[in-house]
Amino acid sequence: MRILSVCLVNVIRRSFFQLTAQSGTFLILRSKVNTCRTFVLSTCLNKNSLPDATEKLNLDGWKDLMRTTSQEETSEKDSDAEEDPNLTATKELIEVLRLTTKLVPENISEEQFQNLLELPTKTSKKKYLAFLFKRELKKKAEKEKKEKKKESSRETCVEKNSSNKPENRLIKSFWSKSEDIVHSWRVAQSMIFGQPLVFDMSYENEMSQKEIKYTVKQMMECEAFNRRAKDPFHFHYCSLTTDSPYHKEFVKRYGEAWDKLLVTVSEKAYVEIFPRDQIVYLTADSPNEMKKFENDKIYIIGCLVDGAGKPGISFARAKRLNLATARLPLDRYLDWQIGGKNLTLNQMACILLALKDTGDWKEALKFVPQRKHSGFVGTSLTETGIGMKTKTNRITASQGVSHFAAKSSNRQTKIKWWEDVSS
Amino acid sequence: MQFFHQTSSCFLQTLVKKYRVFSPMPRFQELPINFGRAIFATSYRSAEREDSKVHEPGSSTWYSRKRDENKRKERTRKDGFLPQAYNMFAAGAAKKRSVISGEEEQPVISTKKEVHFPPPENPLSLEEWEELKGKYDGYQIFEVFMLLQMIDYNRSIDVAKSLLAAVAKRDGDIHYKILLQYLHLCVSQQQTKEIYDMFDIMRMKFKTLEKSASTLLIKGLSNSPHWRDALTVLQQIKKQKVMTPTSRNYRDCIKAAIMNQEINLAWKLFHELLAEGLTPTMDTLQLFFDTGKSVQNDHWTNELIYILRYLRDNQIYPGEDLVHSIKQWFESDPGEKWQGNITTIKKSGQCLSCNQTLESLQLTPEEYNILKEKIMKDVIEGADTFRKTTPEELEQFRKFVDRHSPFDIVIDGLNVAKTSVRFNSSEILLEVVDCLAQQNLRLLVLGRKHMLSGTSQWKKKNMAAMSRKATFFFTENESEDDPFLIYAALHSGRHCKFITRDLLRDHKACVSDSLIQHLFFKWQRSHQMVLSVYVPKEIVRFEPVMTYDTIVQTTGDSWHIPYDERLEERTSYEVPTKWLCLRKK
Repeated sequence: MRILSVCLVNVIRRSFFQLTAQSGTFLILRSKVNTCRTFVLSTCLNKNSLPDATEKLNLDGWKDLMRTTSQEETSEKDSDAEEDPNLTATKELIEVLRLTTKLVPENISEEQFQNLLELPTKTSKKKYLAFLFKRELKKKAEKEKKEKKKESSRETCVEKNSSNKPENRLIKSFWSKSEDIVHSWRVAQSMIFGQPLVFDMSYENEMSQKEIKYTVKQMMECEAFNRRAKDPFHFHYCSLTTDSPYHKEFVKRYGEAWDKLLVTVSEKAYVEIFPRDQIVYLTADSPNEMKKFENDKIYIIGCLVDGAGKPGISFARAKRLNLATARLPLDRYLDWQIGGKNLTLNQMACILLALKDTGDWKEALKFVPQRKHSGFVGTSLTETGIGMKTKTNRITASQGVSHFAAKSSNRQTKIKWWEDVSS
Repeated sequence: MQFFHQTSSCFLQTLVKKYRVFSPMPRFQELPINFGRAIFATSYRSAEREDSKVHEPGSSTWYSRKRDENKRKERTRKDGFLPQAYNMFAAGAAKKRSVISGEEEQPVISTKKEVHFPPPENPLSLEEWEELKGKYDGYQIFEVFMLLQMIDYNRSIDVAKSLLAAVAKRDGDIHYKILLQYLHLCVSQQQTKEIYDMFDIMRMKFKTLEKSASTLLIKGLSNSPHWRDALTVLQQIKKQKVMTPTSRNYRDCIKAAIMNQEINLAWKLFHELLAEGLTPTMDTLQLFFDTGKSVQNDHWTNELIYILRYLRDNQIYPGEDLVHSIKQWFESDPGEKWQGNITTIKKSGQCLSCNQTLESLQLTPEEYNILKEKIMKDVIEGADTFRKTTPEELEQFRKFVDRHSPFDIVIDGLNVAKTSVRFNSSEILLEVVDCLAQQNLRLLVLGRKHMLSGTSQWKKKNMAAMSRKATFFFTENESEDDPFLIYAALHSGRHCKFITRDLLRDHKACVSDSLIQHLFFKWQRSHQMVLSVYVPKEIVRFEPVMTYDTIVQTTGDSWHIPYDERLEERTSYEVPTKWLCLRKK
C-alpha cells in the first residue's frame, strides 16, 4: 500500500510538471492544481511523511555551508583593512555592486578611483561606474577581435609563404604612406591659397571636461576629413591658448603629430585676424538662412558640444561682436523629424566641404544624420514653387510693380518664420 | 472557461468596492474609465493574468465614448474659442488642456513577452531542478527567475529552500543575486525566522550590503521581534557614507518603533530623516497621525503640529489618506472639539464651509523686492546678456519703463494675439486692449518689431488704433520678450498684473534658489491673467487671478489644509483645489 501510494505521488507530480512545462494560462493551471490536492488528501497521503523527511534534512543544509564559506572569506579580507574608512567603504560597495550585475567594471585604476571619490552624488557615481563598465566591455571585445584577426592573418601568411613567387607588376604597390604625402601636399597648398574655415575655441568655460573631450574628438575627425578632401580648407583654430584644457587634450590625443598638423593655431580671436565684413558665424539659432556657399566669405564654426542644453550661446557671441550669422537651410531641404538642428562639428565640416566642391545643397546635406529626418523635401514640389514665384514675378513685372512684389514675398517668408519662433 | 468568468466577476466586485472607497460620490460615467486606468496601471503580466479579455473591450468603449464627448464639446465651441473658464494653476488643468487639444497619452502596454513557467508546488531534489532548468529558455538566470515566480505565485518557502539547497549542492556556493531574491521571497511572505537567518548569513558573508539587500532587510526585520536589528542596518548604511538611506528605509524603522511603543525613538528617527534632507513619505506622516489618536499628550500634539508646519514650509500637499488621518486626529481630541469638513474655496478666497478668508497670496514688500532683484539678475541678464537681448536694448527698456511706469497691466502682445489661429492676430489684440482700456487702466503692450511691418496679420490700422490706448514697446526680433514682461510687471509695483498664457516655466528655472522660485510662483499665481473666453466683437473675458494662497494654514482655532485627490493628476506647477477645513466648535 505504501509503495503504491509513493508511486502515485510520483505519477501525479510528473503529470503536473508536464502540464506546467507545456504551460497554458495560470488560471487553468490553478484549477488543475486544486484537483490534484483534493485527490491526494482523499488517499490520505499526507500521513506518509517519508519523502518530506528526507527533503527536510537538506532544506537548511545550505545555510551552514554559506556560513562556513563566509567565515573563510572574512578572515581573508581582514588583512588589508587598514586604510581610509571612506576609501574602503567605496571599495567594498563596488565589490557588492558587481555581485548584483549592476554595471560596474572589473578593474578600476587609481586615477579612476580618485575621480569616483570626487563625484558629489550617488547617481553621478553610478553613472561613472556604468561608463567605465561599458568602456571595459568595449576594450575586451576589441582585444578579442584583434586576436582573432592575428590568428587568421597568421594562417594566410603561412599559405602565402607556401606559394612564394614574385609578382609581375607595372607599378610598385601603393602604400598609404604615399597617399598621406599626397594629402599633406594638398593641405599645405590650401594653407597658402585655400579658403579659411575658422573654429572658434572660446567656449571652454561653458563646457565640462567630458564635453571638451568630445569636442576635441570631433575636431580630429574634421581635420582628418579635410585632409582627404580634393580641395581642402585652411583650418584656423582661433582663441586657442596654450595649456588650456583644449590644448592639453589636443596634445594628449595627437601626441607628437600636434606640432606637425597642417592647421593654423592662434591665440588671437578671429575678429583680429580677418576683416569683419567677410565673417559669417554659423549657428543654428540664427534668423538668417544660408542661401549659398560663398567662396570669399570666412565661415566660423563654434567649437561647442552642448550637453547641458543652453541654447543661444553661440548666437549671443555673434551678437556681441556684431557679426553676420547664418544657419543651414535644413528645413527647406529636409523633412525634419527629431533631434536638434545643431549638428556635430565634423558633420558641419563635411557639409561645408561638399558645398565648396559642388555647391549642391542636396549633395551636402547627405551628411546630416538620417535618423534626424525622413528624407529630402519633394523635389518636384519645390521646383514648381520656385517656378510659380518667378511666374508671378514676371506677370507683375509686366504690370510694372515687380520690385514691390518680390520684396513683400520675401518679407512674408521672414515674418512667417518669426511667427513660428514666437508662438 | 467558467473559471475565467468567476474570477473576472470577482475582480470586478473588488474594484467596485475599492472605487466606492476612493470617492464618496461615484460618478457613474467615469467609473469604467477608472477601471481602465486600474488595469493599465498594473503590470502587463498581472493584468493579463487576471483577465484582460473581459475588461479591455468595455474600458476601451468607455474611453472612446468619453473622447467623443470631448470632441462634441469641442465642436460646439467652434464659434468662440477656449473651452471653459479654467484656472491655469488649478490641479488637473494641464490634463484638461491635453484632452481638449487631443494630445492625451495612450496608455503604454509593455510589449515584452513573459515566459509562463509556474514554479513547482513541492520541494524538489537537485536532479528534478536540473530537469526543470533544461526546459527553461528565458533571458534571466533560472534560479532568480524561479524565485521571482515564487513570489508571484506565493509558493511555500520550502520550495525555495529546496532550490537553494540544490544550488548549494551543485556549486558549493550560492550567488548573491539568488540570495537576494530568496530574501525578497522571505520578506514578501513575512517569514521572520528565515529573514533573521538570512540577516546572519548576509552579515557574515558580505562586508557591506548594497541598497536592495539593506532595504529588504530593513523591511523584513522591522516587522519582526528583532526589529532593533533593522535600526543597526540603518546605522550601517549611514556609516558607509557612500550611500544614504532612503525615506522608505526610515519609514520602515519608524513603523517598527511605533509598533513597539518606542515613541521617542520614532520621533528621533523622524527628525533625523528631516535633517538628512529627505522628504518623508505620506504614509510615514499618516502613521504618526493615526497613532496620535490613541496617545493624548502635549508632546504628541506639538510634534504633530510641527509636521503640519513642515508641510507648510515646504509647500507639500498631503494626499487624501493622510488628510483623512489628520481630520480624525483633530476630531479625536477630547478637550477641544474640532470639526472637519471637506470643502472647496470660493474665488474670493472664502472657505465654503466656514466662510473664513484664507491667507492672501500677496507678497510682502521685502519679498517683493528680493524677487525683483533676483529676476533682474538671473532671468534677464543671466550669465550673458546677449543670449536674451542686448545691453543697449535692455538699457533702452529700463529707461522706457522708468519714464512710463507704473502700469496696471502688461500684455504679452504676441502671446495674446496668437491665442487663436482662426482670427486675425492684430484684431484679437486690439479687442483685448480695447476691453481693458475701457476700464481706464494703464496698459503696456510688449511686442517685437516685426509687428510694425504692416502685413495682413498685423494691419497698420489696428496697430495705430491700439497705440492710442496703450503704451507699446517693441523688442528686436531676435530678443526674448518674456523677461521684459516680467521685469515691467515687477517694476510697476504690486498692483500690476500681466496677461499671457505662457506658464513661464523656463524663466522660473533660470532662478537657482528654490525659495525665490517659490516666491516667483506665488507672484505668478497672484498676478497672471489668462484670456479665457473670446468671441470676436462680443466677449473678452479673463480668468481672474487667485487671491488666496494654497498652503497649509492656521489661525489658531482653525486649520485649512489643501490636499491632492487620489484620482486627480496634478503637475508640479499646479496647486490642489480640494481643502480640509478644521474648526473648533
